[in-house]
Amino acid sequence: MTNVQIAVQTSTAAPEPATAAKLTTRNLNFYYGDFLALKDINMVVPEKRVSALIGPSGCGKSTLLRIFNKIYSIYPKQRAEGEILLDGQNLLDPKYPINRLRSKVGMVFQKPVPFPMSIYDNVAYGIGHYERLKKPDMDIRVEEALRQSALWDEVKDKLKQSALGLSGGQQQRLCIARAVALKPEVILFDEPTSALDPIATGKIEQLIADLKRDFTILIVTHNMQQAARCSDFTAFMYLGEMVEYGSTQQIFTKPSKQQTEDYITGRFG
Amino acid sequence: MAAPHDHIVKSFDAELERINGEIARMGEMALSQMQAAIDVLNRRDSKAAERVVINDDAIDELERTVSNDVLRVLALRQPMARDLREVYAALRIAADIERIGDYAANVAKRTMVLNQSAPVAPARSLPALAGLAGELLGEALEAYRLRDAGRSASMRDRDAELDAAYTSLFRELLTYMAEDPKQITPCTHLLFMAKNIERIGDHATNIAESTWFLVHGEQMSAGREKADKTSE
Repeated sequence: MTNVQIAVQTSTAAPEPATAAKLTTRNLNFYYGDFLALKDINMVVPEKRVSALIGPSGCGKSTLLRIFNKIYSIYPKQRAEGEILLDGQNLLDPKYPINRLRSKVGMVFQKPVPFPMSIYDNVAYGIGHYERLKKPDMDIRVEEALRQSALWDEVKDKLKQSALGLSGGQQQRLCIARAVALKPEVILFDEPTSALDPIATGKIEQLIADLKRDFTILIVTHNMQQAARCSDFTAFMYLGEMVEYGSTQQIFTKPSKQQTEDYITGRFG
Repeated sequence: MAAPHDHIVKSFDAELERINGEIARMGEMALSQMQAAIDVLNRRDSKAAERVVINDDAIDELERTVSNDVLRVLALRQPMARDLREVYAALRIAADIERIGDYAANVAKRTMVLNQSAPVAPARSLPALAGLAGELLGEALEAYRLRDAGRSASMRDRDAELDAAYTSLFRELLTYMAEDPKQITPCTHLLFMAKNIERIGDHATNIAESTWFLVHGEQMSAGREKADKTSE
């Protein structure tokens, strides 16, 4: 019998990023009004790798994801303290231009929400906010984004049709195309497949594997197998704290904290 | 890490317990097969030896059951971390016990051949070797049952005793053969039987190593003393 090495890593510290740090949080705290939802998060997100955030509902994983593009700032009484460095610049600094942040950090949500317009316009709409492109150049950008999100072959003959006619999985890939079209550096995925069937889920997971060549990816998922399949690094969060952060192989084969072990083996509660 | 809590899904615990029970039963059967094999050798009882050979089928059958149960848990539960190591260890340990059962049956088979000729003196040394192997196997199974990695490690260290005893028996048998060519046939059978028993110790060691991996999530260090010097 071959001697399969299931777990060999014993590191308990956050992983040495195999690539440069794309995002770094320092002593990050987050409040909903008076409620402290994230406590002292220190995390390094490596460039062009997939990092997954897992944990039970209410643990703060989606909250953390949403801080990375400051989407919380449109809501009153929500505030973040500490630092988040994107390529060394603190994006929590009020002087950090929000438009630049949004173009650098894209987001894909749980439920695909295409705009009520054509497939082509869904992708072109965002680009038009940042760049003035002539029609042929825009065509190229739209095609490029649709190819990157593995949707081109399915929609190339019906670009003028409404995006609302696409299937759920296709709509989600369109939303990814919309994010990719702006040429961001980071893409945040908030449970991107929880509304999709297994085939559409498989396509999105393959897409994530392809996208990490060009982008830094952060994904929040309730599906532990998905985190195990897709990510290079995994962080387990509980009650607003980051309990453990390590290579995905280490977290799922030999976690160093009992809480992590209990959660991933379905013993929590 | 502390002992794990129960699973939220209770049937998962029940399935793991069932696999544990199956392996415990396999272990008991292998131990009693070993004892029976030596017993029939001592008594020169070919009829009883035949029964030992037939009884091995039950261990084989149980190993298939464990394999099926492990496959089902892998497919339906997608176990992770400690759970994954539990079923992985169960699969390996079941294979080791199955092999141990084969060796016990082999010893019984050769007893039937030995019984066709007159008794030979060196056959009296075999039970001591088998006694030591049985003790080590019992210890490996108990350490697994208790998930006691420390006990597994001490057991593995004791395999050297068995290797040394085997080496000494090997030399003894060579001496008998050199003294009297008529002894060559029975002594050759006894050599194979001794080797079978020595291999039982190796599989018991595998069980100890699987237990260590189950508990710690890493392989036991490789530094095991080798005392079977018959090939040197």
